[in-house]
Amino acid sequence: MTRTEESRRLIDLEDGQKAIIISITGGKMLIKRMADLGLTSGTEIKILRRALFSGPVQVEAVGSRLVLGWGLASKIIVKLHE
Amino acid sequence: MNDEKKINIVLAGQGNTGKSSVFNYLTGLHQHTGNWAGKTIEKLEGTLYYKNYTIDVLDLPGIYSLTTYSEEELISREYIIKQKPDVVINIIDSTNLERNLIFTLQLLELECPVILVLNMVDLAKKKGVTIDFLKLEKILKAPVIATVASRGYGLTDIIDKVIEIKEEGTRDYHIPEYGKEIENIINQLSVSLKETELPYPKRWVAIKLLEKDKETLKTIRQINPQIIDLADTLGKKLEDIHGHDPDVVIADERSHLASQITREIVKISPHRKMTLNERLDLITTHRFSGYLVMLLILGGMFLFVFSFGNWSSSRLDLVFHKWHDRWINSFGNAFIFSLVWAAIESVLALIQIALPYILPFYIILYILEDWGYISRISFLMDKLMHKMGIHGKGCISFIIGLGCNVPGCLSCRIMESRRERFITAVLVTLVPCSAVSVIVFGLVGKYVGMLWAFGLYIFAMIIIFAAGRLSSKFMVGEPVELIMHMPDYKTPHLKTIVSQTWDALKEFIYIAAPIVIISGVLIQAIYLAGWMPAISGFLSPVTEKWLGLPAITGILLIFGILRKELILVMLAAYLGTTEFATVLSPQQMITLAVVSMFYVPCVATISVLWKEYGWKKALAVCIAEILFAIVLAGIVMRILDFVF
Repeated sequence: MTRTEESRRLIDLEDGQKAIIISITGGKMLIKRMADLGLTSGTEIKILRRALFSGPVQVEAVGSRLVLGWGLASKIIVKLHE
Repeated sequence: MNDEKKINIVLAGQGNTGKSSVFNYLTGLHQHTGNWAGKTIEKLEGTLYYKNYTIDVLDLPGIYSLTTYSEEELISREYIIKQKPDVVINIIDSTNLERNLIFTLQLLELECPVILVLNMVDLAKKKGVTIDFLKLEKILKAPVIATVASRGYGLTDIIDKVIEIKEEGTRDYHIPEYGKEIENIINQLSVSLKETELPYPKRWVAIKLLEKDKETLKTIRQINPQIIDLADTLGKKLEDIHGHDPDVVIADERSHLASQITREIVKISPHRKMTLNERLDLITTHRFSGYLVMLLILGGMFLFVFSFGNWSSSRLDLVFHKWHDRWINSFGNAFIFSLVWAAIESVLALIQIALPYILPFYIILYILEDWGYISRISFLMDKLMHKMGIHGKGCISFIIGLGCNVPGCLSCRIMESRRERFITAVLVTLVPCSAVSVIVFGLVGKYVGMLWAFGLYIFAMIIIFAAGRLSSKFMVGEPVELIMHMPDYKTPHLKTIVSQTWDALKEFIYIAAPIVIISGVLIQAIYLAGWMPAISGFLSPVTEKWLGLPAITGILLIFGILRKELILVMLAAYLGTTEFATVLSPQQMITLAVVSMFYVPCVATISVLWKEYGWKKALAVCIAEILFAIVLAGIVMRILDFVF
């Protein structure tokens, strides 16, 4: 396994990096809510920028821009994608 | 001539797609609003006369998905299924095609004729996105029309298409097809539904059963519980294959199909210059400059609203005073005429808040909203809001609350859970509204010093923050995380802003007017009956002993429940002068301002709390805030002893 395939939390990515969602480690409600937005395992996601401290992150996914709370973004497990 | 023909169409789509622009363009002045039967959700209808047809247009509430359980979503899908409109117009934001298509697929599951309206194609083009409309038409077998609703481009094409469909006479629809395994299971389930009499399409019911949709489960359980067992078994099967709950599997399937379609029809030109909007976005959401810009924008907004408000409010005051004098000259001071004047005065008081403060406030707010800036504030403030147990969108209610608590509390509807809605609403009642700022600036600002007045604002922010922290500790339930779509900046659209402002103003008047008038008359009656001295005597242990204020403030605070700036107005009337410094020490002024800020929401706000959360919670909030304000102001007064 090369280093780029390591899984990590979405919030651990650098601004501008692209990744693919591996899993969402949350309750059923959360997984459903994300799925309704089109965010499921296999979805490509790009981190745009984040707010001050551990604030929310802005991402690009499903062809649009979303803001995800920090707690939520830390539950999204991704692997890097070039 | 009676050969006019009728067509029923509905507009459906997610938020921020320009749906209301389309609705306004199509129906113009022929709009009427009401409520959905038994619901607090507004129903927007309009009529359009075109080529001999009378076309009734219904604007369904903007929604994200047709599966998640919310009143808006339930209303929309029930309407489409049961009322069988001739055509469903699906308004789609072209710049967010993929996300919008997920909703479109759900719409198509309802087995209704759909026209896809790809709105904001100009913005998509600017972003370098080219869409193959013909291909989309082919894939979904539904007509596709490109529009720019804000400029009216393409909108008559929609209606031409509607008429064409109507004249063909068939209710044509196309159902999207998902993966084989899922289709297989949906099929098995719909076959078992064959015998049951249902107003819903069988395939749709099957999907909803697999998704464990509450309403559908309830309906089917009454008809044939065995089908639910079958749905459970089949759902398990799906779960075994995919490792997720069936509802997630189906949602997955939709989004995969949406992204597959998008890949086929969309081309994005990669190397293009950064647009002005993207540059703007970079600055306004930057971790440092973003906050600076926010302070400037909000500060400028308040400076404008309050200076305009004070100026125009004092103008109106002069006019209304003349009216009062004329009233007394014509009718005298008889009991009944005083009561009638109390009712009139309540209406005038509402106007005096609505026109100078709330109207300009709303206009600016909706300009910011339509431009796309409000979402940036939610993004920037999310972290701080989280410390209060709510998320970034709550900040919007606070900002609105600064203008007036009534719309502030109403706007809490944007929060997802009941818990957050309630916490936000309670915190909003602590936000100093424009009426409170009249007291703060008119009393403390003018006679003690502007720094003290601003200090009181900062004090209020600290109190709200502390109250938020406390409530997030004691209210059961998990805080909901922020999930929000970040819209692109776009040129604000005048028509949208005007209609939103008008709607908000109307709601404020509808909710506030009755209760303000009734309580205005009631308090005037108590006053005229001569009970006020008794009441102020009764309250004097609190007002005189604990707060160190003149006994008269007991009465002022009662009138203040009507609208808070009455505290100042009545004080001036009682003293016969606005030179408050001659009767109140700086310490007393600050104490009075603190009590006025927190002691109770005004009646109009109470009525919103009552309507949205029930009388028990509304009463509890009032009692808690009265006790809190009295204790707090008493402590403040004693601390100020050391200062003055």
